[in-house]
Amino acid sequence: MKLARLLVPLAAALFLSTAVHAQDASPPPRNQTLIVENPQGTIPNADSFNLWLPGLRGVSTGLHQLGMDTFWYIDPDHGLDGVWDNSLAAEPPIYNEDFTEMTVKLRQGIYWSDGVEFTADDVVFTTETHLNTDGLLRSSSYQLNVESVEAPDPYTVVFHLKRPNSRFHALFTVRWNAAWIMPRHVFEGQDPLQFDFNPPVTLGAYKLHSYDPNGQWFTWEKREDWERTTIARFGEPGPQYVTYVDPGPPDRRVIAQMNHELDIIHDVSPEGMFTLAKDSPSSIAWFDGFPYAHPDPTLPALIFNHQLEKFQSADVRWALALAIDIKAVSMASYRGAATISAIQIPPTGTHPQYYHEPLTEWLTSFELDTGQQVIRPYDPTMGQQIADMLRPTMGDEIPTDPQQIAASFGMGWWKQDLEAAAQLLEKAGFTRRDGEWYMPNGERFSIRIMVEGDGRPVMTRAGTMVAQQWRQFGIDATAENAQAAFFPRRESGDFEVCISWSVETWGGHPDLSFFLDSWHSDFVAAPGEIQPPRNWQRWSSPELDAIIEQIREVPFDDPRGVELGQEFVKLTVREMPTIPLMSYNVFTVMDETYWTGYPTAADPYTNPVPNWANSRYMMVRLRPTQP
Amino acid sequence: MHGYGIYLLKRFAQFVLVVFIGISLTFFITHLTPIDPVDRMVAGMTTFGQSDPEAVEAMREALRALYGTGAPLLDQYFEYWGRMLVFDFGPSLSSFPTPVSQLIGRALPWTFGLLATCTLIAWVLGNLLGGLAGYYRNNLALKTFGVVAMGFHPIPHYIIAFLLLILFGYLWPILPISGGASQQVERGLNLPFVLSVLKHSVLPGLAIILISIGSWFMGMRALVSNIVTEDYVVYAELGGVSRRRIMRSYVMRNAIAPQVTGLAMSMSGFYNAAIIIEYVFSYPGLGRLLIAGVYAGDYGLVLGVTAISIVAVSAAVFLIDVLYPLFDPRVQLS
Repeated sequence: MKLARLLVPLAAALFLSTAVHAQDASPPPRNQTLIVENPQGTIPNADSFNLWLPGLRGVSTGLHQLGMDTFWYIDPDHGLDGVWDNSLAAEPPIYNEDFTEMTVKLRQGIYWSDGVEFTADDVVFTTETHLNTDGLLRSSSYQLNVESVEAPDPYTVVFHLKRPNSRFHALFTVRWNAAWIMPRHVFEGQDPLQFDFNPPVTLGAYKLHSYDPNGQWFTWEKREDWERTTIARFGEPGPQYVTYVDPGPPDRRVIAQMNHELDIIHDVSPEGMFTLAKDSPSSIAWFDGFPYAHPDPTLPALIFNHQLEKFQSADVRWALALAIDIKAVSMASYRGAATISAIQIPPTGTHPQYYHEPLTEWLTSFELDTGQQVIRPYDPTMGQQIADMLRPTMGDEIPTDPQQIAASFGMGWWKQDLEAAAQLLEKAGFTRRDGEWYMPNGERFSIRIMVEGDGRPVMTRAGTMVAQQWRQFGIDATAENAQAAFFPRRESGDFEVCISWSVETWGGHPDLSFFLDSWHSDFVAAPGEIQPPRNWQRWSSPELDAIIEQIREVPFDDPRGVELGQEFVKLTVREMPTIPLMSYNVFTVMDETYWTGYPTAADPYTNPVPNWANSRYMMVRLRPTQP
Repeated sequence: MHGYGIYLLKRFAQFVLVVFIGISLTFFITHLTPIDPVDRMVAGMTTFGQSDPEAVEAMREALRALYGTGAPLLDQYFEYWGRMLVFDFGPSLSSFPTPVSQLIGRALPWTFGLLATCTLIAWVLGNLLGGLAGYYRNNLALKTFGVVAMGFHPIPHYIIAFLLLILFGYLWPILPISGGASQQVERGLNLPFVLSVLKHSVLPGLAIILISIGSWFMGMRALVSNIVTEDYVVYAELGGVSRRRIMRSYVMRNAIAPQVTGLAMSMSGFYNAAIIIEYVFSYPGLGRLLIAGVYAGDYGLVLGVTAISIVAVSAAVFLIDVLYPLFDPRVQLS
């Protein structure tokens, strides 16, 4: 009895605390609900939907995928109707001749979820709020670019810019996300730094249905007036409800999908993917068979710190590239399920047709002078070799069609050539004694490769394998696990080599400015100071600067942009500022027990990775299997 | 009573000192790590999108001003204590402007409910069965339980948690493996919700109970095994006192005192285990909040959760200390 007296108040306290946050909504039926992993995990401040604020608040909870909207979207894959989609804008951006003014024609007949029409007033309000408020997520982008904004009529907005910027529209163009438009009638009179925006008034085809006050799940319901949203151009969204949930650690995600409690897993380990492919017949992935994963438009690479003396010579960087056996790295990192790239462009989306395929001939004939011989280091069959290597164990899972192999495993890479690597080091003044390399100053050639550790096990395994290969070559190489200190150390230049990415692209569109503009030498920080994203290698090159400056002057869709992009690729092949490895492959797994119509490599109408805002396009193609 | 008052004051001073040192250490450790919350946040925000170097630098400066993280460390330290005294932990940097106290207030009942309930269940059951096993040494059922408890005892709690996860989440999926309650029930004071909370707490609760019950069982059995050979117990048996009364009044009452001390000593260990178990089962308590704070470099949140934990564990130890002389008359206070 005494125990009961103690336990009852405790239990009551627990229930009361949760009841305070009770939601007034009935639970959605399973056969009408798409359940998606939210890779952000559990959201501590679940009550806040003000995603214009900085911080790690709930964004991938469905809020930016299903609730928000902006002018344009670029699909990282092929898109429902091409990679470029005019969403809130009725047409692409209209710049004046010197790129100091951008006009946006807005789509008419679009309404907020509370029935108020979306107009240019919302855009002007959003812009002016950012211009007048420091500390919002994108305040600085608005403040650096926008002199003033005006709305000549309810469906036209004109941005007057402080300086020429041919890529100003990128601020409002979704890759992963972008600057979202605020509802003026909701935010007016509120302090944007304090306002919770709860419940959120949405422009997307869904509105908030209910959420867990502890932040584990968020459920969205299709708006009755979904036809008054931009996505309606592609048809009616299939799921009546979409729940974004934190399913827990990777093992639990696999179990949840096997139990049909999780329709889309955002990402699991290669081993988790293989388990689902074997034991869960209703689970599908981007590729029908091995390597399953969706290649993100992101390029993990071995990033040299160019502010260190030992990496000043391109011969040294090339020697290190030729000391790598990419097949072993592919096996160590992704168990073979990697999509390799020899050039500084992720082999994903439409990039192969703009860069990898047209440059194959140039790469194959590319010559490298080692000081003792001239070699052609590129092997265009490397993807094929990886496929052949996997076939004995994976059997029919491995494609045989060369095009499919190129899409799955990548095209070519650099042949491991230890003799040429040694000659290049000698050319750079290095010496080898008793199988160990010494730098021109007489010190042992040592390299510490910084890896993220548990946070990114696939890349950690790749970095460890490369360290092992360099060590076998005679370099004193070690993999250094930085754990949570990885990012601050990468940004402050406190590393020798790290495995990370400084190349991220639109995926669907060939323009490279998304990452390349930040590689300009103007932005390289002094040693010890914080480097702005993304030139983590701190590489300065007058030739590169010239390419970047030319890209700034050509319009976004100008074919000259691709030519300049190819010039960039050739320059980086010659200089090898980082050693590109592979695309960042995401093992997104989709269960067809309740829904069908997911995007796949065979039907690449959008990105399946569900935390990308582009994944909203998936909703109009999904159909229930159990009505 | 005068002696007890002095004892109380001493214990209270000890409690205050532990809290002060613990929180100060946590403050300096979190603030001296190389992880800057503003840099971490900027890195998080630029991972997928915004990369204009000038805009990013301007954002970094704006955030430093907004969060007040640029002030000298000692100023921040004294300001923190000033706010701590009124239980204001400031805003969470990763969930700005939500106050840390609000985030903790939401998670605390889950951890408290799960941890307190399961710790007490494990303590009561372990001691009861251990006492019986020590007294009725030939009982086969109690012997079997002893073997099982000893088998579980050395297994790390995260292994137990994963075993339960695979057993009841996959091989025999009868129990929920994630969260505090089902989404399929309406939240509130209604029976389906209450049952759902109980159902969701079974696996994490079982993990806590399984790892702790063995030590209570074995400790109590050993204590009772010694006490039953004491003269006063033998005399009572010879005198015809009922076995139940001997067990309750002569044996258990004497054996329980060290176990109460043990409970106080092991509180922090249980709390640590609960953090891992919460993470494994996505239980919406302080453990998950703490891990989220660590990953985000949100030292306001980490400090808040840690401070609450230090105060709660120290208070529990203090409470047990001050109650101890009241139920063990052998303790002399001077």
